Amino acid sequence: MSTVAAIGSVRDRDPMKHVFIWPALAVVLVTVMFPLIYSLTISFMSFRLVPPRPPRFVGIDNYADLLTQARFWSVVGTTMTIAFLSVAIQYIIGFAIALALHAKMPGSAFFRVIFLMPMLLAPVAVALIARMVFNPTMGPLNEVMTYFGFPNLPYLTDATWALGTIIAVEVWMWTPFVILLMLAGLATLPEDIYEAANLEGASKWRQFWDITFPMLLPISAAVVFIRLIESFKVMDTVFVMTGGGPGIATETLTLFAYQEGFKKFNLGYTSSLSFLMLIVVTVIGILYVSLLRPQIQKRQ
Amino acid sequence: MVDVTRRDDALAQSEEFLLDAPEASAKALSRRRGPRDINAMSPGWKALVLIGLVVWLVLTAFPIYWTLVTAFKTPPAVNGGPTYLPWVDFEPSLQAWIDIFAGIRGQFDRTITNSTLVSLTASVIAIVIGSMAAYALARYPYRVSIWAGVIFVAIALGGYLIGFEYFGMSRAGALFGAGAIALVVAILLNLLPLPGPILGNNDIVFWFVSQRMFPPVVVAFALFLMYTEVGRAGFTLIDTFWGLTFCYVAFSLPIVIWLMRDFFAALPVEVEEAAMVDNVPQWRIFLQIVVPMAAPGLAATFMITLAFLWNEFLFALFLTNSDWQTLPILVAGQNSQRGDEWWAVAAAALISIVPMIIMAIILSRLMRSGLLSGASK
Repeated sequence: MSTVAAIGSVRDRDPMKHVFIWPALAVVLVTVMFPLIYSLTISFMSFRLVPPRPPRFVGIDNYADLLTQARFWSVVGTTMTIAFLSVAIQYIIGFAIALALHAKMPGSAFFRVIFLMPMLLAPVAVALIARMVFNPTMGPLNEVMTYFGFPNLPYLTDATWALGTIIAVEVWMWTPFVILLMLAGLATLPEDIYEAANLEGASKWRQFWDITFPMLLPISAAVVFIRLIESFKVMDTVFVMTGGGPGIATETLTLFAYQEGFKKFNLGYTSSLSFLMLIVVTVIGILYVSLLRPQIQKRQ
Repeated sequence: MVDVTRRDDALAQSEEFLLDAPEASAKALSRRRGPRDINAMSPGWKALVLIGLVVWLVLTAFPIYWTLVTAFKTPPAVNGGPTYLPWVDFEPSLQAWIDIFAGIRGQFDRTITNSTLVSLTASVIAIVIGSMAAYALARYPYRVSIWAGVIFVAIALGGYLIGFEYFGMSRAGALFGAGAIALVVAILLNLLPLPGPILGNNDIVFWFVSQRMFPPVVVAFALFLMYTEVGRAGFTLIDTFWGLTFCYVAFSLPIVIWLMRDFFAALPVEVEEAAMVDNVPQWRIFLQIVVPMAAPGLAATFMITLAFLWNEFLFALFLTNSDWQTLPILVAGQNSQRGDEWWAVAAAALISIVPMIIMAIILSRLMRSGLLSGASK
């Protein structure tokens, strides 16, 4: 018993625990510290690269200006719509497909390779391909749709359609991520619980809601969280497909930051925008974690 | 007095361990069972599942097929409206590929070499140091006082402002000086029993993941500035192999740590504990016991990281210009040079896709062979 007891304190005081964590910690600190602190300081300045003028301290002007601007709120709304809708759809479709692929069936290896492919493509390439497919005159989609009697639709030039198209492309590209990790999660579920449930005559539907879903809640929470964070930063797809247009109908936070920073060279403004975004995403993240943690603990 | 309380702690821990152990090993055993066979599904459900899979297959495969045929089209076959089948709708042409191999479309050979070198090296480094940290976060308890964190930020920020504004230091110099002092002070402070909330392993993991919340545009620009200033001090980082690799390592560490921590936590802890009773050193337990057991998870994480880095666009755009340009930049460039030349875009996209498809096949082979089951939990 004393040896076993010793293990706990050995683990706690072992110098190896510092050797293990410091390389990663150091690399992330060095790379992250400069961008964060640098942009925090210039977010309180009026700082333009063109024409080059010495930076001037303006207090919270940048923040106040942003928060009172209609464009900022419209951009926040667009970003949230894209992030929440696309992640919700990705999760539902991805989980359903993972469940289907988890069943033994002919050709599931083939399905898996094809289903993984979108995630492995460069987002820039995906956006370019999407522009081809959705093109009103040269693209196949409108031709097929008109063949079936639908009108020729302005997929990329009408505000609502463009938003829907961007969400569709995001779903196309990132559902494989959900499929991959949910499949790995499904593979860890113990078989005997299902055998017991079958013996008791529980329906498949009940088995899903009472066993599969609760047991996969931790991995689901992690997958959805990572996808949400990444979706809030969506830029390349929007930039290539619509450029934020028509007008600012599909402009996202990162695209707005890019336009201000590298079209208008207004770096102070871009930095304060980034910090507002960081605050929004952190608040959503903390809310999400604190809402889910009791659920996960309750069900385990 | 101190000894007694410590022994009580140790006793409580050992009891916990003994109580937990049988349950944990039972869990580990039941996880080893094969995948669930739901062939017992009713025919209606089976049909629904198959239809769903085929619909998704068409949705997934069509854009990729479209890219494939577009790469063999001539300009009229693209601009004259959609054409679908080679030899039926249009006469396939190799012109796009001839252009690419003749070097008219940019230096594909060099960018492919660059992309391969940078993404492979960065993935390997990120996996090595990331899984070390992930293992540590899964197995060792860490305690960081919130005040140590607050003081770290305060000293780093204040020191940077003072050094830059009053002592005329360079931005990078001021920041690294202040950062080093802040780090030492914070580590020393953390040794003291400070009051207030204590951050644990979950908070550290959240901190790592939260590094990916900041808009990449700003991070990329700030990194460009930092690299430029470090370059003035004599270490060229812009448009170099190590400059891009270093930032890619940092960029992928949060995801590696987040995934690998789950994989390590799923391993049965008893084997390690047995080795510790035999006084096997920690680094040997990690290398010879834990890493082999987590090999499937390591493989999956490595492939996800490699795919992310192979496709990374923004950092490469800011931090390279000619020598170390990567493939996504060249692919994106195909579009803007002379308007929408889609046959060229498609061919370039295909070139960047092929290595990743080979990866997808390897990944699915691993998953099918059951190597990756038991992963991620």
